[in-house]
Amino acid sequence: MPTPARSYDDLMRPTRRHFLGASALGLGALAMRAINGEAASLPKGTHFPAKAKRVIYLFQAGGPSQFETLDPKPLLRERHTQPLPDSVRQGQRLTGMSGYQASFPLAGSFTEFRKYGKSGVEYSDLLSHVGALADDVCVIRSMHTEAINHDPAITFFCTGNQVAGRPSMGAWASYGLGSMNDNLPSFIVLVSQDAQKDQPLYSRLWSAGFLPSEHQGVQFKAGKEPVLFLTNPEGVSPHARRGMLDALGKLNADQRAAERDPEVDARLAQAEMSFRMQTSVPEVADLSAESPATLAMYGESVKTPGSFAANCLQARRLVEKGVRFVQLFHQGWDNHGGLPGAIKRQCLQTDQASAALIKDLKQRGLLEDTLVIWGGEFGRTAYSQGKITKDSYGRDHHPRSFSLWMAGGGVKGGHVHGRTDEFGYNIVEDPVHVHDLHATMQHLLGVDHERQIFKFQGRYYRLTDVAGKVLKAVIA
Amino acid sequence: MKLFYVIYLLAASVSLTGQAADLPVDFNREVRPILSDRCYGCHGPDAHKGRKAGLRLDEPAGASKKLKSGDIAVVAGDVSKSELVRRILSDDAEDIMPPPELHRPLSAADKDILIRWIKQGARYDPHWAFVSPAAHPVPRTPDDAWASDPLDNFLRLSSRKAGLPFSPAADRPTLLRRASFALTGMPPTPAEVAAFVADPSPDAYVRRVDALLASPRFGEHLAVTWLDLSRFADTWGYTGDKPMFAWPWRDWVIRSFNDNLPYDRFLTEQLAGDLLPDPAQAQLVATAFSRIHRMTFEGGSIAEEFRQDGIHDRVSTASYAFMGLTMECARCHDHKYDPISQRDYFSMAAMFGDMDENGLLSFHGEAPPPAIRLYPDEQGRTKEARLQAAVRAAEQAVADLPLVAAESAVVVPAALAHFPLEAFTKTGVDDAVAGRPAAHFERHGSPDDLQLVDGVQGRAVKFDGDAGFILKGFKQLGRLTPFSFSAFVRLGERNARATLLHSAGFYTGDGDASGVELLLVQGRLRWSVIQLWPNDAVSVETLAEMPVDAWRRVTVTYDGASRAKGLRIYLDGKAVEIRVVRDSLSFNPRDNALEIGSRSRDAGFRQGSMDEIRLWRSALTAAEVAVLHGIAPEALGSDLRRQHFRERSDPAFAAAHAQLMKAHLTLAEHQQKAPAFSVMRHSPLAPKTYVLTRGEYDKPDLSKPCPPGAPEKVSAWDASLPRDRLGLARWLTDPRHPLASRVAINRLWAQAFGSGLIASSENLGMQGDLPVHPELLDTLAVDFIRGGWDTKAMLRRFLLSATFRQASTPTAAGLAKDPANQHLARGPVLRLSAEMVRDQALLASGRLVEQVGGPSVQESASRRSVYTFRKRTAPPDSMLIFDAGSREVCQPKRLNTNTPLQTLVLLNNPGFVEAAKQLAVRVSQTSPEPAEQILAAFRHICTRDPRPAELAALTELYATQQATPPQFPPTPPPPAPAPPVDPKAKKVAAKAPAPEPSLPRLSADPSLAALTMVCSTILASDAAVTSR
Repeated sequence: MPTPARSYDDLMRPTRRHFLGASALGLGALAMRAINGEAASLPKGTHFPAKAKRVIYLFQAGGPSQFETLDPKPLLRERHTQPLPDSVRQGQRLTGMSGYQASFPLAGSFTEFRKYGKSGVEYSDLLSHVGALADDVCVIRSMHTEAINHDPAITFFCTGNQVAGRPSMGAWASYGLGSMNDNLPSFIVLVSQDAQKDQPLYSRLWSAGFLPSEHQGVQFKAGKEPVLFLTNPEGVSPHARRGMLDALGKLNADQRAAERDPEVDARLAQAEMSFRMQTSVPEVADLSAESPATLAMYGESVKTPGSFAANCLQARRLVEKGVRFVQLFHQGWDNHGGLPGAIKRQCLQTDQASAALIKDLKQRGLLEDTLVIWGGEFGRTAYSQGKITKDSYGRDHHPRSFSLWMAGGGVKGGHVHGRTDEFGYNIVEDPVHVHDLHATMQHLLGVDHERQIFKFQGRYYRLTDVAGKVLKAVIA
Repeated sequence: MKLFYVIYLLAASVSLTGQAADLPVDFNREVRPILSDRCYGCHGPDAHKGRKAGLRLDEPAGASKKLKSGDIAVVAGDVSKSELVRRILSDDAEDIMPPPELHRPLSAADKDILIRWIKQGARYDPHWAFVSPAAHPVPRTPDDAWASDPLDNFLRLSSRKAGLPFSPAADRPTLLRRASFALTGMPPTPAEVAAFVADPSPDAYVRRVDALLASPRFGEHLAVTWLDLSRFADTWGYTGDKPMFAWPWRDWVIRSFNDNLPYDRFLTEQLAGDLLPDPAQAQLVATAFSRIHRMTFEGGSIAEEFRQDGIHDRVSTASYAFMGLTMECARCHDHKYDPISQRDYFSMAAMFGDMDENGLLSFHGEAPPPAIRLYPDEQGRTKEARLQAAVRAAEQAVADLPLVAAESAVVVPAALAHFPLEAFTKTGVDDAVAGRPAAHFERHGSPDDLQLVDGVQGRAVKFDGDAGFILKGFKQLGRLTPFSFSAFVRLGERNARATLLHSAGFYTGDGDASGVELLLVQGRLRWSVIQLWPNDAVSVETLAEMPVDAWRRVTVTYDGASRAKGLRIYLDGKAVEIRVVRDSLSFNPRDNALEIGSRSRDAGFRQGSMDEIRLWRSALTAAEVAVLHGIAPEALGSDLRRQHFRERSDPAFAAAHAQLMKAHLTLAEHQQKAPAFSVMRHSPLAPKTYVLTRGEYDKPDLSKPCPPGAPEKVSAWDASLPRDRLGLARWLTDPRHPLASRVAINRLWAQAFGSGLIASSENLGMQGDLPVHPELLDTLAVDFIRGGWDTKAMLRRFLLSATFRQASTPTAAGLAKDPANQHLARGPVLRLSAEMVRDQALLASGRLVEQVGGPSVQESASRRSVYTFRKRTAPPDSMLIFDAGSREVCQPKRLNTNTPLQTLVLLNNPGFVEAAKQLAVRVSQTSPEPAEQILAAFRHICTRDPRPAELAALTELYATQQATPPQFPPTPPPPAPAPPVDPKAKKVAAKAPAPEPSLPRLSADPSLAALTMVCSTILASDAAVTSR
């Protein structure tokens, strides 16, 4: 006799086995037992009260130009097409792409900058939506990094090291702090589908590295299967799946008794969580319940599944549900040539939705403990790569100085940190290394970056390697 | 004060220990781990800025030295005089050691150990892993009758001490599953289990083990750990991630395991196969171990940076794989814990940086040289050697021809193309040769960038360094094609680097130079024919610099014979002195159009001018070059005239030359059938190695050259060894080497018992874990060496041991006393790896395609997982979820986790669903009875029979599902008929999003669908994903 079908709520109600999965650390907690790790490697939780509980990182892959977005340089406009003085470059290395150019003509921004808000922070016209929120946003104009090519630089930014195999920022956050939701992964990655795919992305950027694999970023995709392998085969209903898991529970309970192995419990708990994810993920991925006002705020493209705007809204829904770290990736910023047209497109795709995300978080009371960061892996050169024509120019990679912005999560609004010289080539005030940004991000999450460590291959590793200082000046 | 301190100390000591204060301490087991972890970071081997207060605690002399402060850290036997003791007991934040900012304070027990150690004389013992292993006598225990191998005695001694009885023997299905997974990575089939259970002979198990060792699956399984360590993959790994032709090396690994290549040879051939006398092709293939690290071709990358990163990867990988040492720390500074100096590191870097190589991959993805042609068998290679000898003989025959005293008229052949450069057209410049195509402006479409200036004959073109001309039709300049170029050239500056002429096509850096190339390098002319720079090229350079601001006629010729001596450079009609830069061209360059005056992403001929450019598809003779410049033939020396006669009119020379070209072509024809495969090749042209300051590629410390060498504090270097990779291999396989045999044994042990004898199998250095059974490890290491490094024999011992054959189920007391099963008083439990989980499902489904070796395949090909195509930037999802790595860098060990995504893979991944469906079909054909079908399915996946409760649960599941036939979503309407093909609409069509892959689907037959769900459930169960 088949058992009578149960209601869906019944199916979702905790069974006697669910308690195994319910833990403050969620996804990873039980799995930790499976690791042959040392006690020193166990999650530490926060070291001091956190200002931010979660992070949304809007990663702008390819290296957005600071000159058309966040770092106004009137001098470049004055000296448009004139050569970059050698005294500024100081013989610093260039990439092999423009390094052999016969000349290095300075390129002034084609777009205007203006002051916004009470703070009067300057933003370019391409970032007018974020500019309108200037008093909530902190701009850093003195970022610098070590690598000059995309792959090493983006790997460095996302994992704190150019060498492959280190855990990513989100994996560290997941490992150190765990999830606040037992039904969703703690680190989720969203890649824009509407972006110009100029430079590739790779799973290394959201990898768990040597941390246990449950901390690896789980990619959410637009479409009928937001998470890989989430959907049952056709013909297997949720009821049927529940029946399979019940049978699986019985098999494993018998195995547990016969083998006296606590590992079996851990496996069963994870199986139950997979079932809960099958409901929680489509639920959180369903943007249709959002109000027209909210959708309008994010702009027209929010209706296009997988667009940057839709992903921003998705990110808000995820952090609302307690996901610890959400990282968006938007490609298309690698504007070696034809920069004016390209960067206009990039900002059109991202500015309004980025601003909407801040507003949306704020109106829901989430901004104060959600850290939002917008930026790329390096900046671009003050000089043009290739010839400057009447209405176009390009810019090569520039790791020595670039800009990004942060908002919420305990960061000072209406603040500008750091300064570059009038060519925007070298930093003259308050340099911020990528390690410093990571240290600050972890600090805001309540984590001492020097104490969040993992012993691997006989060495203690941390996101900030052996460096990094917290930027007290940007913290409210 | 002092008295108080001593009293305090005594009190502390007593209260800390609560046991006899003079309980002897063991330096290696108790003291060193504390010193290493908490102290060596600042007071250890790193001699540079790392060492604080001049104190060094890793050796007795340093620890007992009088410091600048007047204190002595460790006074043997005198606790009260030892500053170390005062510091560790201090409660002053300024004073206490280790300092609070280390965030790793000493526990009370740690302090007690250090104090007792000093009290007992502060004796230092050498780190266990840096002392050669010695065999220990086999211990006797009352359980000797139970033991079947000496290893059992060692383990029994320790488990008896822990109060653990040994476990009964595992039942036969369980034992066969365990042995099969350990040796082949796959479970036995139900038929194999039945045969084994029914086999009454006393050697039934031995015969099964021998059969498993002889199975080709053995090599496929053993290879996986090695492929993780050696970061084997099918792509190069960085941005763009092009395919990497490496699978022949993977097949070499599999074959080596299957053929039971002794481990010392396995090691030697991979590290130094190319340095062995007269190496076989397989031995060269083995060296790809050091070539399959990641490489980038990202535009703008700096070759030296990535060359250094590549060498670094080779050093770290070899150190992990063969020594269990983390050498990489010492790239930037002396190792903080282990006796490896920065110099040691760069001596190893010199070992692995001994090639003439480019640090960048070509944008076009060719196998980066040095490379060999890879033939299907040794015969192909023998034939290559024969044809190469024929080329050399033909070269010699040409060289041996006497210069005859005969002359012929010197007439310059008509140029194939001639650009007088008198005026620009809209698109470029015209060719004066009738009917020849024009040259086009390249890169910058307007003549604004180029100027017409006064030339030698009429007007000339001045270049700006960014723009030039392209001769679109002028292609096919191969290594066997003669070619000449001549033009008046005037430098406007002393160009540090300038491209005058090239046929490299799309170029992002030297890694892409492929074709002919005429450059100015520091003012000197360099003339080359290149397949890939620097090591598959012929190239010569003038000794003198070109003058600035003076017109010179530059003529360069190439005779098409693939040797540097066939490259000539003439100025104003006269040959100039040159040096050979490279002379090793054996592959054909890419075929691209000639470009003049510029090259993408490279320095063009900035400020330079050219006039009267002429091109020939033949090599002008020296006499012709002179005459071209207006030198009268009579003014030439007789040698040049005879040379000219010889090259143009001497039938003997023509015959010899034809013979040479024929030999070349025959060789090329044979070679072109075989793909290029990257290997290690020692070269005297390899750049010298220096210590890099802070490990930075652009900061070599020229005062610190590093000849090849090894960390000699780990093991002494015998002066008779060659200082190269072969010497390194000999050093490692010397029986006295303390690490090589232990690391190998530890890895083999993990193969059989799930985890190694050293928990930190990736690190045997100071910071690693101590072995749980050091005497056993060392005895096995010695046995391994004495037995000829015989891998199969060692595994056979492990599998035939009484320890391996025990049941794995613990008693409640056993579980409490030894939860991690360190003493192995019960059999090993294994969570199956990503490969095992998938291969097991494939085998059970009957879909597994077994074929050893060959190119990597997609998962849909149903081959064993070792053959799954590994793209480094996008590794197979379901394998990542089961803890496999990306193979970007050496992975010495996989973690073992449980996540919900694993359940989703097992229940929803199309491959696993398909396996469940096929298995359902398979077992449904064996019996009409559902109970029988379920039983058969369970056996296929879990090997054993289900217990009653298991069978009941599955039977109930079957009944429930069968009574609720599967519901399918409505079938989507068939796609609209494709619109008529409109060639103009092509672009639009290409933008349409790819349809989402359809989900796997259950059978509509309720019984089969129910059985499929039963099979899926079994696949996801603990009994399926473990071997117990």
